[in-house]
Order: sequence, then structure tokens, then C-alpha cells
Amino acid sequence: MVTFTLNGREIELEVDPETPLLWVLRDHLQLMGTRFGCGMGLCGACTVHLDGTAIRSCSTPLAMAAGRSVTTIEGLGGNHPLQHAWVEHNVPQCGYCQSGQIMSAAALLAANPQPDEESIRQAMSGNLCRCGTYHKVQQAILSAAAVAQWQPAGEDAS
Amino acid sequence: MSLTRRQFIRNVSVAGGALTLGFQLTGCSGKPLQLGSEADFQPNAFLRIEPDGTVILQIPKAEMGQGVITGMVTLVAEELEVHPSRIDYAMAPVHSAFGDPEMRLQITGGSASIRVYHEILRQVGASARETLVAAAMQQSGLDRASLEAREGRVRSVDGSVDLGYAELVPVARTLAVVSDVALKSTDQWRWIGRYDQRVDAVVKTDGSARFGMDANPEGCLTAVLLRCPWFDGGVESFEAVEALSLPGVVAVFATEFGVAVVAEGYWPARQAAGKVQVNFTPPGGGLRDSATISAALDAALDGEDFASVRDEPATVAVEQGTRVSARYAVPFLAHAAMEPLNATCRLTADGCEVWVGSQAPDLAQDVASRVLGVPREAVVIHNQFLGGGFGRRAAADNVAEVVAIARELKRPVKLVWSREDDMRHDWYRPAMAGAIEARVHPDGRVSHWQHRIAGPSINQQVLPVMMGAMLPQWVPGGPRQWVGDFVGKKDFASVEGSKELPYAFDGVSVSYRNVPVPIPLGYWRSVGHSHNAFVVESFVDELAHAAGIDPLDFRRQHLPEASRHRRVLDAVAKAANWGNAPPGRFQGIAVHDSFHSCVAEVVEVSQVDGKVQLEHVYCAIDCGQVINPDIVKDQMIGGIVFALSAALHGEITLKDGAVEQSNYHDYPLLRQTDTPPMTVVLVESSAPPTGVGEPGTPPAAPALANALFAATGERQRRLPLRLG
Repeated sequence: MVTFTLNGREIELEVDPETPLLWVLRDHLQLMGTRFGCGMGLCGACTVHLDGTAIRSCSTPLAMAAGRSVTTIEGLGGNHPLQHAWVEHNVPQCGYCQSGQIMSAAALLAANPQPDEESIRQAMSGNLCRCGTYHKVQQAILSAAAVAQWQPAGEDAS
Repeated sequence: MSLTRRQFIRNVSVAGGALTLGFQLTGCSGKPLQLGSEADFQPNAFLRIEPDGTVILQIPKAEMGQGVITGMVTLVAEELEVHPSRIDYAMAPVHSAFGDPEMRLQITGGSASIRVYHEILRQVGASARETLVAAAMQQSGLDRASLEAREGRVRSVDGSVDLGYAELVPVARTLAVVSDVALKSTDQWRWIGRYDQRVDAVVKTDGSARFGMDANPEGCLTAVLLRCPWFDGGVESFEAVEALSLPGVVAVFATEFGVAVVAEGYWPARQAAGKVQVNFTPPGGGLRDSATISAALDAALDGEDFASVRDEPATVAVEQGTRVSARYAVPFLAHAAMEPLNATCRLTADGCEVWVGSQAPDLAQDVASRVLGVPREAVVIHNQFLGGGFGRRAAADNVAEVVAIARELKRPVKLVWSREDDMRHDWYRPAMAGAIEARVHPDGRVSHWQHRIAGPSINQQVLPVMMGAMLPQWVPGGPRQWVGDFVGKKDFASVEGSKELPYAFDGVSVSYRNVPVPIPLGYWRSVGHSHNAFVVESFVDELAHAAGIDPLDFRRQHLPEASRHRRVLDAVAKAANWGNAPPGRFQGIAVHDSFHSCVAEVVEVSQVDGKVQLEHVYCAIDCGQVINPDIVKDQMIGGIVFALSAALHGEITLKDGAVEQSNYHDYPLLRQTDTPPMTVVLVESSAPPTGVGEPGTPPAAPALANALFAATGERQRRLPLRLG
């Protein structure tokens, strides 16, 4: 039995604790917004927050989440300044990597509310986009950084 | 005005669209199309307005990021007089009404969607609007001139009548559809060329967009498949005692495509797959290693048996010029879309349902029906968003596999490929080799251009499969393969972008030699243009340097004055400030016409201590009338990123018949930190819209190679390129 907080709600699961968090989210909890891309932490499509830090859920066992707080793209709720900026800038093309891009960007802004272009590039370099939306990702993060900070469900203000 | 052949075809396609409207809800096959309810107003197969006013457009093409949904919605919205954001969309089911008017298949490819559909969809919107207005005329007793349609309502000029489309649906659905409506003139457009949003942006930022990977019918299990690593082998035997003992594992069995491991979820399936011992049939002989394939292609260039695809003799004697010659080579490439291939199947009483993100849902249907041994009509395809396509999802091997698994399992099942499966079982962009030569004359003229291309034919492999879906199913495979073999001799996909050399050189010959390889091949963003533009535009640069003329001036000199090539070259040169690169910066230029659009690019690099770095890419495109400027720019940038990933890193190699690369560490793509700033110029045009999904890709590799030559003085003729 593993207990953790998911998008602000306490949950208990009877799942092999070695199972990567990605497959717990997708196969056991039907939260399909977190994507499978490479299974090796190379592409960032599966990025979620663990206690506010961006992690690759494809290579993070469920056991690591025990007693901690997990936020997925669904947990951002659709009203995060980044999500608005993403729509305003038409960032997505195929869209498959964008949950991961947004989760990486949200962790960046939480740690560094006013990042410059170079720190954005560095922070986002773990998220591949085969459609090549990198410039738009950067523009959207810069414009989201200009609006008030937002607190995702279940993540500490610290 | 002369009617060219292409215009004629276009006009016929438009007439085809009008016929579709006339036929209402049946296509040429006569099979009825069931969409929505009887209370809806359905003026044609594409459009339906429900009694509550909801407008739903059936999208006959796959959305893989290229923005086809937004483009199509905008075209309909313009004539329907409904804001694009108020039109809902659905992926069209497989039906002849949605078959591409040019390609016969319901396929998304050739950057053709907007070019082929722009007039049809405006007609779809206009015809629906006028039928709604006719309903308003009937309800109000007013004539057409007294009524105006705008923002989803029909109003009278005097304000006495104001009816929403919803209120008009009950009458409109009983009327004969008004056809042959005159389309708005360009100065009346409100959204075409101006609308700057993507209608699918919200669902792609909140996690709710549904890709093939997200299909989840009730009781669905997950399968992974253990395939033979080499392409000409199969399963001989397997042993799965330990795998079957693992928790969550449901079944392990052999199919014609490999050993299926089925479990309650991907993780237990993948874990169990690691415990299955499979003996594969031994590999055959022939071309099984990258080195032997490269040598075979190179040797083929020296041989005979080339098929001529263009042959214009020179008017001057060959002795007059200086001979310049070179050999080029490009490797196999993977598509590496972010969403690994997958498909989900549920058996039904007479066939099955398949959930998949497909560029060719009717091919998927045909393939599924053959595996299951049922008529095509017994297979329902639910097309999903595609997590990248780039040509890979025009194949349906994933669908064949999942149907074979469901056939044995008799339970709903989702087949998920790992990234490694996806990398090692792609339908690859073929490796190609080219020998090219020309004579440069003292005055800069060029004669005796000869380009010989050797490499495997995509269409020899792919056409027989595609034709399976185009022809009645009783047509046996033999004749289809015969057509593939015949087309393969002069495969248009091998020579496109070389055959159409735009320069006014004196004497041009282009020929091709098919060198079959036992490796699956497929369409890769821009297909033949992806390698021919590299060879042609690199070699044109070589000629410019041999002639001692600036590469831009050299190109301009040999291009017709009013050509689109000249226009995009001038536009990109202006944007890049060509010829005035800052100190330490070096520029390379290339221009290429593909999918009816013309694109020029300048790559600017810097060189510090022998290390070259990408600094900026400039791009100018003429794609006719632009529907959505932001999406066109994004397609250019995306196409360039795609090309640069290949030009700098892309190489699939084979050892003992198996692909050596496996994931993004050994098949790297450009990342956020590697992608230089870019500037895109849209050259204004009122010509009909042409392709944008692919044309940004071809010029990038040669523009980069030419910039590297400018920086280092070394000409690189083999992809991928080295930076210093």
C-alpha cells in the first residue's frame, strides 16, 4: 500500500511500488495528460512535480512518491498563467510533449519567478519537442513570468 | 487565360467537392454516412449544425501538429459566418466522402490538405450559410437582399428579423441545399489570412487532448510485442514460463508479427517481456550492414542501368567549360515522433474497432480487415490526435499488429511500442548516394549538369501496401507488387527535388538507379526533397565558388526574373542582410521548391577557435495565400528544426540487419539549448494556397552545409554534418 498526495488529494494505492509513477498515473489512475515518450528520462514528456520539483515520472518508482505530493498537468487546473500563455502564443503543434514542457516551466517559475532567456533555455533543455516549438515555449514562459505567481494544488508555498 | 493541367485538376476537384455537397450524406460508394441525429441540419458530409446551434466540422485530414484543423475551421468559418472558435471539430470517420480528391486515399501527406481543400471547404461553408438564409427567407417572407448572415445569425437590414442559426435548423434541414454559391472576394475576408489562434491549443495545454496512446475502452489490457530485430526474420519458438508467473500478466503468445506479451498495464507487460526467451529465424544474406549498404550505393553510381527522368542535351560543346564533380551521400533516418507508435483494438460482432492516430485511416481499415479476415466495412477506425506524424503514421503496421493480438486474445487491447521499438522498427528515410557534375564556363554559365541518384525506392515497398486500400480486396498482391516494382524503376519519391532543377543550365540530365535493400522504407517529412535539396543546393554552391561568383548572385543569374525562387531568395537575403554578416559570422544560402511552395533559407554560423555554432536561421516562403500566418511561420521553424536535427545528428545505422540506435541518447534531436533564433518572412501572394508542412525542411541542410563551407573552407558532402 502506497499513500501519497495527488493534485491536492490524498490517495492510497495497492500497486507494485517499483512501478514507474508514469504508469501508475496512466494505467491505474487514468490520468492521461502525462505522456510516455522514451522511458529513460531523456525526453521530458512525462514530467510531473514531486514536492514542487520537476521529475521524470517514467523513471521514478511509485515508492519515491510515498508520503509526498505529486502534481500532474491535470493538477494545474487549466488556469495557470503558463497555460494561458501557451494558448495565447499558440505553442502546441502536435501537443504531445506540451504537458511535460508546461510542468518543467511551472517548476522553473516556482523556483525562479523572473528567469532570463538563458535560464529558460537551460531549464527547458530536458524537454524534447519533435515539432520544434522551442521558441514559442520560451516566449510563453517569458510572458507568463510577467503575470502574478500561481500556486498549484497541494504544493507548499516554500 | 490559359487553363493549365494543374488548374484543370484543381477545378475538377472543386467540382468533386460540389458533388459531395449534392450527394448530401453519401459519397461515391453510396454507403450512407451516419453522423449526428436526424434533427440536425447536415447540408453535406463535412458540416452539421445541431438544434442547439452547435456547429461540427468533420476533419478529413489527420492533425499531427501542422494545424490542419485550425486551417479547415477557418476556411469554413469565413463563409459560414461563424467565428472560428465557435466551430467544433471531429476526426472524420473512414468514408469515401472524405477521400482526398487527388490521392484517392483518405491520407494526409504531400503537404496537400489546404491546397486541395481550401475551395471545397469554403464552398461547404457558403452552401450551408445560404441554405440557412433560405430558411430565414421562408420564415420571414423577406427576400435575399433584405437579409444578411453574420456571427451565426441571419438578420434583416431593417432589424425586424434576427434569427440565430439554431432557430433556423428545423427549417433548413427540410430545404434543398443551396449549391454553386459565389464565394466571398478576398477583400471581404475576416479570418482567412488574419486569424491568429489555434483552435486545438487549449486541449493541448491542459492535458485533455486524446492521442492514440490515451484510448482506453472498458476492460482494455496492454500488450507489448517482441519483434525480430532484423527485418527479414520471424519467430521460431519462445519460452515464457517465468514471464507468465509474474503478477498482472495475462497471456504470452506468438502472432505473425512477433511474440505478444499481454498484461494489466504497460509496466507489467514490459517487465514480463524482458523474461520471455524468443528464438528468431536466422537472418538472411545480402545488404545487412551500413558499411556494405554505403559501398553498394557508391558502387551503383559507377554502374549502368540508370533510368533517365530528365534529359535535355546541351547546346555547347563539353570541352568549353571546366568540369566540376562531386559525390554526396545521406543516411537512413528515423521519424522519432514524440508519441511512440500504438494502437488499440476491440473486437465486435462482425469485425473490430480500432483507436489510432493515423495519417491514413482507410489504409488502417484495410490492413485491419485483412488481418481479421472480414470486409473493410466491418472495421471502424476512431482516428485520434497524432503525437507527431512526419510520414511515419501513414503506415499501419501498428494496426496490423494490434488486430492480430486482439484476434487471439479476444479482449480489448492496447499495443504500446517502446521508444526502442519505435526507433528500431521504423519505415526509414532511405540512405541515398548521388554523383553530380557540371561544366562551369568563364562567364559563369553552366552546362552539362548531370545528376545520377542511387538508392532504394520507397514506393516499390509502400505503393503495393497503399494500393491494397485503393483497390477492391479481391485484387491479389502479385499485381500490386508488380506496380510497385515498375514505379520503383523511376521512383518519383527518389528524384523529386532533383528532376525539377529550376536553374536555366544548358543541358540537364537526371537519372536514377534503384538499389533495393531489405529495410522498411517510408515517407519522411519532405520525402525525396529531404536529400535531393541537400545534394542539388550544395552542388550549386560548389559551382558558384568554382565560378568565383557570390552564391546568391549565382543563383539569381540562373533563375528566371519573375520566378518565385528569385522572390524568396531576395526576401531571405534582405532579412539576413546577405553579404554583410558581422565579423566572425558566416552565411550559407539555399532555395528549394517543394509541394508547390518555394522556400529560401540562410543559415548563419559563427566560428571561434575552430568550433562552429549555429547563430541564426532566416527563412522566406511563398506558399500562395496564407490562411493562418502564425501557423505557417511555426511550420517553417518546425521544419527547419526537424531538418537541422537530421543534418547535425541524424543517422540510423545497421549491424547484422538490425538497427543499432534505440532512443534519444543515440538518435539525438535538437533541444531548446541547441536551437538558434529564427526569422521567417511570408512573401505576399494572392495565388491559391500551397503546402507548408514540409517545404521548410529541404533547404536547411544545404544552407547549413554552405555556411560551414563559408566558415571553414571545407565542403562536407555527407550527412550528418560535423561542426568543426
